Amino acid sequence: MTTQRLIAHVDMDAFYASVELLRYPELRGMPVVIGGGSRHQPVVVTDPVTGEPTRRFSTLRGYAGRGVITTATYEARALGLHSAMGMMKAAQLAPDAVLLPVDFEQYRKYSRLFKAAVRAIAPLVEDRGIDEIYADLTDVVGPVAEPWARARDVAAEIKRAVRAATGLNCSIGVSPNKLLSKIASDLDKPDGLTILTPEDIPARIWPLSPRKINGIGPKATAKLTGLGIATIGTLAQAEPHYLVAQFGKSYGAWLHEAAHGRDERAVVTWSEPKSISRETTFERDLHPVRDRQALSRIFTDLCLGLTDDLRRKGYAGKTIGLKLRYDDFRTVTRDRTLDAPTQDMRVIRRAAGECLKSVNLDRKIRLLGVRASSLEAAGEAQLEPNLRLFD
Amino acid sequence: MHLKQLARDGLLKPLQAVSGIVERRHTLPILSNVLVEQSGGRLSVTATDLEIQITAQSDVAVPEGEPTAVTLPARKLQDLLRALPDDSLLSVDAQASKVVLKAGKSRFNLQSMPAADYPRITASQDMQQTVQVPQRQLRALFSLVAFAMAQQDIRYYLNGLLLVIDKNSMVAVATDGHRLSYASLALEGDYTHQEVILPRKTVLELSKLLAEDDAPATIDILVNQIRFRFGNIELVSKVIDGKFPDYNRVIPSGYTRHITLDRQLILHTMQRAAILSNEKFRGVRLVLTTGSLKIICANSDQEEAEEELEVPYEGDALDVGFNINYLLDVLMNLGSPEIVLSFGDAAASALITMPERSDYKYVVMPMRI
Repeated sequence: MTTQRLIAHVDMDAFYASVELLRYPELRGMPVVIGGGSRHQPVVVTDPVTGEPTRRFSTLRGYAGRGVITTATYEARALGLHSAMGMMKAAQLAPDAVLLPVDFEQYRKYSRLFKAAVRAIAPLVEDRGIDEIYADLTDVVGPVAEPWARARDVAAEIKRAVRAATGLNCSIGVSPNKLLSKIASDLDKPDGLTILTPEDIPARIWPLSPRKINGIGPKATAKLTGLGIATIGTLAQAEPHYLVAQFGKSYGAWLHEAAHGRDERAVVTWSEPKSISRETTFERDLHPVRDRQALSRIFTDLCLGLTDDLRRKGYAGKTIGLKLRYDDFRTVTRDRTLDAPTQDMRVIRRAAGECLKSVNLDRKIRLLGVRASSLEAAGEAQLEPNLRLFD
Repeated sequence: MHLKQLARDGLLKPLQAVSGIVERRHTLPILSNVLVEQSGGRLSVTATDLEIQITAQSDVAVPEGEPTAVTLPARKLQDLLRALPDDSLLSVDAQASKVVLKAGKSRFNLQSMPAADYPRITASQDMQQTVQVPQRQLRALFSLVAFAMAQQDIRYYLNGLLLVIDKNSMVAVATDGHRLSYASLALEGDYTHQEVILPRKTVLELSKLLAEDDAPATIDILVNQIRFRFGNIELVSKVIDGKFPDYNRVIPSGYTRHITLDRQLILHTMQRAAILSNEKFRGVRLVLTTGSLKIICANSDQEEAEEELEVPYEGDALDVGFNINYLLDVLMNLGSPEIVLSFGDAAASALITMPERSDYKYVVMPMRI
């Protein structure tokens, strides 16, 4: 018999918002959402009476624009706000919620800190983005009599280490695989610690909506509901051949496995990205001619951001792509393949500019994006002889 | 506009102060003109390129009366006035779309365009903060950093100079991404923290216009604009909307290898060596050992220059490459007799300062040679 795998999913609680609260502790306990731009930066004002400097924060009240919430504190979630919600809608629900600008540099810094803290305890980790990782605890726990009890101790230790390194809370789910751990970490949020053994599946997993499974999206959920399958338990009881008939061979088979909590995927410590991209939806739709200057500025910023990402991650892209969405939501993409991979912003801007020339610019645009693909690790050839100050 | 007996310099001086920003070729023809205005006994000349606008008052009085204005082609007017004898007295007579300029027996018929069409930049009424600095100091501040500004970089926010006002200091920073120049100036008073990026052209123009004296320059920070007032001049400029990189992060501290050098000596040494540096990469090798600094340049034709300076240095040896232009730039623009060169390791930036002064820092990244 193979050893029971012990996989942890570590998920930071309301990550961006929590990082901001470290900076602005006076906001603790208040509804706060992250998603603003630089104009929502708090300003320091001096109290005319006491002479004490205090920070004045922006609120959602009167917000006009198309920004979406990236993170909401639990207090804001209690008011019905959630990530990906449009901020104009959020402003109607909670006009007094504090609005803070997004500061990715800061979040990346804390992301590195928390990941390093987890790695120090469990070296085998898989990066799942800025605020979550999987860690394989099997070898950390070792061949002990009570592996699950020991796994709980290790997870508690990880929580303490993350807190010591960052001052932030995380929620951890430990189970035999990534699929279940991802669900488990969400069961007791925030600051949660959930151990989910195979025996717990019927009681704890089956009553949940299939939507809770990572990989079952809104469309599949709707279809399942239409078939009378509203819980993971019902899904587990469905005949595999019925699911295959409804959802196709591979997805149908996967649904059956997933509902039984089976997932053999390994914790992958490192994987090559296929592409790196940046895109932005504008505050208002922009006209290719009348808003030419603003568009050009945004376009350049996207290329700069993409160049930064490539440099930071150590890649050069051979194919540069453009994505453009019109005001009627039609989306077009264009690609240009270069003679050699690049991480030079001028080359990227030029290639993306050529892509832009090849699309119809006869109506307003709501989104613009640039992308580098056919990535290679950047070598000496792409490096300038003169080192940079700001990399 | 009808002016008589106007001293040539009464028009030429303010015209020369503003004509630097007139673009030679522009899609808007009226922008090759300047706006000459007569109001309340004063004559003023205005030029704009839609990013910057400069108005210079004449110090020659003109008759009071109804305010009038004409536009005139900047270059032609300047060339004509300069070609006239210094003591010429002018008459200016505006008629419909023509302006007749006379001086003695000379008569020039110039095309005009309606003054009402002249695209003036309106200075924002929302003043955020006003700072006063002696012109000499502001000029010196700019000259210490302006040379490090980027030029036509797609990182548009580097094609300018960052001005930071904070409490009792004003800091200017410019960088092209490979080297950075930082200078600060003490202010009298206590100001709110504010940062603006001045466009490259604005900085270069101010460097020309600011006087070498202690008369004050007033800086008004407006919404998306900045205004400078000094002497007879008012300059309004847009500011660059962008995020300047965090300069504090790249200014090194704690370097332990320092050498103090005579600025002229190291400048001349480098200028000689530079003749044989690679034309494309402009690399120079600095080899520092106990008591000696070697400066070595080689080009693609296998030619080589080697210079050696005796330096009071004891410590680990160091062999590091730089773009020699970045070193020449700073050596030429510092006014001090001596400079201090500080190093980290061979992959770290070098820091150039002036002895006993913490108000100036120049950081330059090394180059692989």
